[in-house]
Amino acid sequence: MPALKHYPSINLNRELLNTSNTAHFNVGEIFIPVESESVLKRISRTFFESGFWKALDEARSARAREQSPLISTTADYFAHLLELYRRLKLEVFPHTQKLSAERIAQYAETRDWIHSGIRYIAWHTHLFKVAVAGVDDVVRIYSKITDKNAGIGPVLKSPTQTQITCMAWRPLCAFELVVGCHQGLCFWIIDNNMHLGRSINPSHTFKHPSNLPISSLQWNKDGTLLATASLGDRAILIWHADDGKIQPLKRLGPPSSLLSWSPDNDHLIASTVGHVFRMWECYDRWKTERWVCNSDSVQSTCWSPCGRFLLFVATKDPILYCIRLVQLHINPSKYDNEVMPIADLNACVLNDRSNTLIGGPAQQLAMDPLGKYLIVTFKSTNYIAVFRTYIGQYEFEISGGHYLSGESADEYPSYICFQPLNMDNDRSVLTIGWSGGRIQLYVLN
Amino acid sequence: MSSAAILMCRQLLFSRCIHAGLLSVGVQLVMLITLLLCVNFQLWHPLDWAADSLRQVCSCYPWLASMPLIVAVAFYVITLSKQRLSERRYCPTRYRWLIHHGPRKLLFLIAHVFVGYLTAWLYTTYLHTDYRHLVYKSFGQDCLNSYHVFLLGMGITSGCYYFAANYMRQEVAMEFPIIEQKRIENLRGVLYETLLKSPLKSLWVTLVYSIGFWLFGGLVRHRLTHLIGVDADDRLLGILDVASNGRLLFYAWLLTTQIVSNMHLMQRFNHVLLSERLPLVIARSRMSANASEQELTVASVLGLFDMYVAQCLAARFLYEHALCNNSTIRLEIFQLTEPGNHPANWRALCDQCLSIVATFTEELIESMQHISLIKGNESHLATTAAFIDKKGPLRTEKLLIRQYNQLHGIRPASAEPTQQWDATDSVRHVPNRCERAFIKLETMFLGLLPRLPGIVYLFAESDGAKTVFLVDNALHVIWLTQALAHLCVASIKQDRYGVVQDDLTAIIRALHRLKCELDKLHSALPSLRPSHSSNYIVLRGAIRRSLYNICISFHDYLGEVIPNGEELRQLQAFICHG
Repeated sequence: MPALKHYPSINLNRELLNTSNTAHFNVGEIFIPVESESVLKRISRTFFESGFWKALDEARSARAREQSPLISTTADYFAHLLELYRRLKLEVFPHTQKLSAERIAQYAETRDWIHSGIRYIAWHTHLFKVAVAGVDDVVRIYSKITDKNAGIGPVLKSPTQTQITCMAWRPLCAFELVVGCHQGLCFWIIDNNMHLGRSINPSHTFKHPSNLPISSLQWNKDGTLLATASLGDRAILIWHADDGKIQPLKRLGPPSSLLSWSPDNDHLIASTVGHVFRMWECYDRWKTERWVCNSDSVQSTCWSPCGRFLLFVATKDPILYCIRLVQLHINPSKYDNEVMPIADLNACVLNDRSNTLIGGPAQQLAMDPLGKYLIVTFKSTNYIAVFRTYIGQYEFEISGGHYLSGESADEYPSYICFQPLNMDNDRSVLTIGWSGGRIQLYVLN
Repeated sequence: MSSAAILMCRQLLFSRCIHAGLLSVGVQLVMLITLLLCVNFQLWHPLDWAADSLRQVCSCYPWLASMPLIVAVAFYVITLSKQRLSERRYCPTRYRWLIHHGPRKLLFLIAHVFVGYLTAWLYTTYLHTDYRHLVYKSFGQDCLNSYHVFLLGMGITSGCYYFAANYMRQEVAMEFPIIEQKRIENLRGVLYETLLKSPLKSLWVTLVYSIGFWLFGGLVRHRLTHLIGVDADDRLLGILDVASNGRLLFYAWLLTTQIVSNMHLMQRFNHVLLSERLPLVIARSRMSANASEQELTVASVLGLFDMYVAQCLAARFLYEHALCNNSTIRLEIFQLTEPGNHPANWRALCDQCLSIVATFTEELIESMQHISLIKGNESHLATTAAFIDKKGPLRTEKLLIRQYNQLHGIRPASAEPTQQWDATDSVRHVPNRCERAFIKLETMFLGLLPRLPGIVYLFAESDGAKTVFLVDNALHVIWLTQALAHLCVASIKQDRYGVVQDDLTAIIRALHRLKCELDKLHSALPSLRPSHSSNYIVLRGAIRRSLYNICISFHDYLGEVIPNGEELRQLQAFICHG
C-alpha cells in the first residue's frame, strides 16, 4: 500500500516459532526415568525435583496405584483434605484466589490471550514508535522506515517480565514504556544507548503491594499519574511513577479488571470482574459514580475523542451501550447519565457468504482518533465490524459500515488499536494484530 | 502582596493546623472511651458493664483528668504547626543546623515527652487497681508502685521513640497526596492505616523498653524512692518478673499503641488539612474594596517565599486548573482586564512563575559550582584552554606531564592552576624568615584542624549539600513548570487575544536552561541518583515533560519562537530523542 510505505512490516510468526520451543523446558524431561525405582523413592525424587504438588500427583498416578495401592489411597485422602481446605479458604477469603492465566485471559481485551501470538500493541502518543508484546514475553519496538533505519528497534526481554497483559508509552516523553505483567510494572527507557537486539533489564520495576499481576494500566494525559488495576485487588492504584508512591482508590465490591481514562482526563472508567463498574470524576475530588451492568461484567470500553460519550460492551451480551456525559443546562433531567443501548451486535449472516457469520458477544472496541469510525471485534466470529459514527453535541449515532477479514477464514483479530494523531500521522490508521502473529495496518478514510 | 493578605494566608493555614489538633483531641477522647469500655468489660453482666462504663463516661472526672493531656496536645500541635509553616532555611554545616533547629527540636521533644507521659498517666487511672497509683500501702508502709513506674516510663519512652523515628534528624516536611480526594476519605484512610500499623510497631518498642527496664529500672526506682520518700517494692526485679506478667506487658503495649497512633494521627491530620486547596483567585474582585483585601491571588501567594507550604499550594492550584479541561480559572488567565484591555492576569502570573524558575535555576547553578566533580571539570577545562592559548606546544607538553603526574599520584592533585611567574613583574616580594615561619605554622594548623575528631563533622559542608537541599524543596517549581507548559499548550485553542505568545520564548528558554542544568547534575552528584533521591527524579521528569509538552505542541512554529542556533537544534533533537 503506497500510503503506508514508511510503516514497518510486522509479522511475529517466524520469531515466535524460534523462541516458543526453547522458552520453556523441564530439565527432568531430558533424563529417562529408571524403571526399577520403588514408589517411595520415586515420590521422594519428584518431591525434591519438582515440589510437593508434583509429588502428590506422582503418588496418585496410575503406576503408583498399581504398585502400591495403600500409598495411593492415602495420597487420595490427603489430596481431598487439601482440596476441602482450599475451598473453605476461598469461601472465607475469595480474594486470595490465585490468578491463573485462564482467569487473566477471561477478562483481557485480547482475544485468546493465552495462545495469541500478539498480546498487546501500543503506539507512542507523539512519535512513530509502536511496541508489540508477543506470547513469548518479548516486547519488540518498531519505528518508521527511513533510508537509514529499517524500522526495527530494540527487543525488550527480561525474566521479570512474563505474561504481559498491557503496555503504554509515557505521554510527553520520547522513550519511556511501561509494561504491565505478572510481576507488576516494568519501566523501560528506550533511548539511543539501547543497542539493537541487546537484552537488558528494565530501568526499574514496581510490584503491586499484594504481589498481584497487573491486568490493566493507563497513563493520564500529562504522564504524571499511572492508573493500574489488578484482578485480585478491589482498589485501583494511582502511581506517581517517578517516585513510586501509590494512592489507592478504594471501594467495596469485586476486583477491578479494566481501566480507561477519558481523552481529556476528566473521567476514569474502571470495570470490575462483577456486574459493577465505576466512573471516577478526576477533577472533582475523585468522586465516584457506581453503575451496574445487567448481564455480566464489562468486556471492553472506548471513549469518543471528545470525551463526552463512553461506549462499552458486556462479556456475554451482544449489545453496544453508550453513556452520555453531557449535562443539559436548559433542561437537566435524570436520564442524562443513563446507559443507552445503541446497537444490537447479534451474529448475522454476511450477504455474500451465506455460511459466514459476523457479530455476537464483542471482544474489543476501538474508536478512531478523528471520531468517524468504531471498530468492533467479536469473541466467536472472525470478522471485524467497522461502523460509521456521528458525534453531535448531545447525541451519538452509529451506522453500519463494512467489515474486514483476515488472510484465511480461520484467522481472527487478537488485538486492535489506532495510531494516535501526531506530527507523523494525520490519518486514522487501524492496527490489527491477527492470531497468526501478523500485524495489518489499515487506513480508514 | 498586602500585609493583610499575608496575614490572612498565615491565619488560614494556622486555623487548619488547629482543626487538625481538634480532630486529634476528638480521636483521643474516642479512644479513651473505648478503653473505658474495654477495661470494664464483664462478659456475664453486660448490663452492669454498660452502666459502669456510662457512669464513668458521664462523670466529670475523666473530662477533668484529660485536661492536662489536652493542653499538652495543644502545645504539641502548635509546635508542629510552627515548624511546618516556618521558612525553609539552608544550613550548610551541622553546627549551623544545630543552632537553627536545635531549640525547636528540643521544644518538640519536650512536647513528645509530655504527651507520652500524660497519656500514660491518664490511662493508668482507669486500669486495674494494682496499676493505678504511684504509691500504695503495703503492710502499713508506703511503697513505690513498680507497675505504675513501668507504665509511666513506657509512656515517656513511646513519645521519645516517635520523636526519634520521625523528627529527630528529618525536617518536618510537607507531603501532598498524589490525587486530591474528599477530606472524609483522606481522614478515613489515615485512620485505617494508623490503626493497622501502630499495634505492630508498638510490639517492638514494648519489647525493647521491657529489656531496658530490667537493666536500668532498679536505678530509676531507687532515685524515685529517695525523691518521694517511700520504700521500694520487690516487684519487677528480674527479667522473669517482667516477662511473666502478661497483664503488665499487655497494658504497656496498649499504651504504646495509643501514644504512637495518636502522634501519627496528629501528624497525618495536619498533612491532610494543610494540603487541601486554598481559596485562591486569579484577579481580585473590583466590586468591593473591603472584599478585595480578603482575596488571595495565585500570583501573590506564589511570591510568599517565606511560606513554602503556601507557595506549594498555589502552584498546585495553578497546575490543576491548567490541566483541567473545562477550567474557568484558565480562561480567566487569558482574559484582558478592564479598563485598558491589558493581559494583567497573565502578566502577573507569568512574571511571577518565570521569576521563581529563574531564581531557582540561578541558585542551582551557584550551588553546583561547589560540587567538586563539576568544579574540577570546569577548572580543568579552563586551565587547559589558558595554557594552550598562551604558549602552544611547550605548554601543552608541560600540561600533559602534570596531568600524568596527577593521575598517577606522583604529585598531589590540585585543581588550581599553578602560579606562573610573569616576567613583566618588576619586583617580587620575598617573605622574610618570620613570615615564612608564620605561613608554615598557619598551613600546619589548617592541615591539622580537620584531623581533630568532630571538626569536619560539625563545621564542614558536604559536597553538593545545597544542591540536594534545593532539589528537595522544589515542589513548587515542579508544579509551576508543568502548569506553565499546560497553559501555553491550552493557549493554542483558548487564548483569543494572543496574550501568551509573547512570552513563549522566555518560557521555553527558562525551562530549557533548567533542564540542561539538571542533566549536568545527573552524572555529577551520586547522592541524587534514583536510589538516593526521588525528588531529583521527579523534578527532572517534570521539567523534561513540560519542555516536551510545549515543544511538541508548537513544533511547527518552533523555528519562529526560538531563533536559529544551537538552542533550536537541541530542542528539535529533544522532541525526537528525548
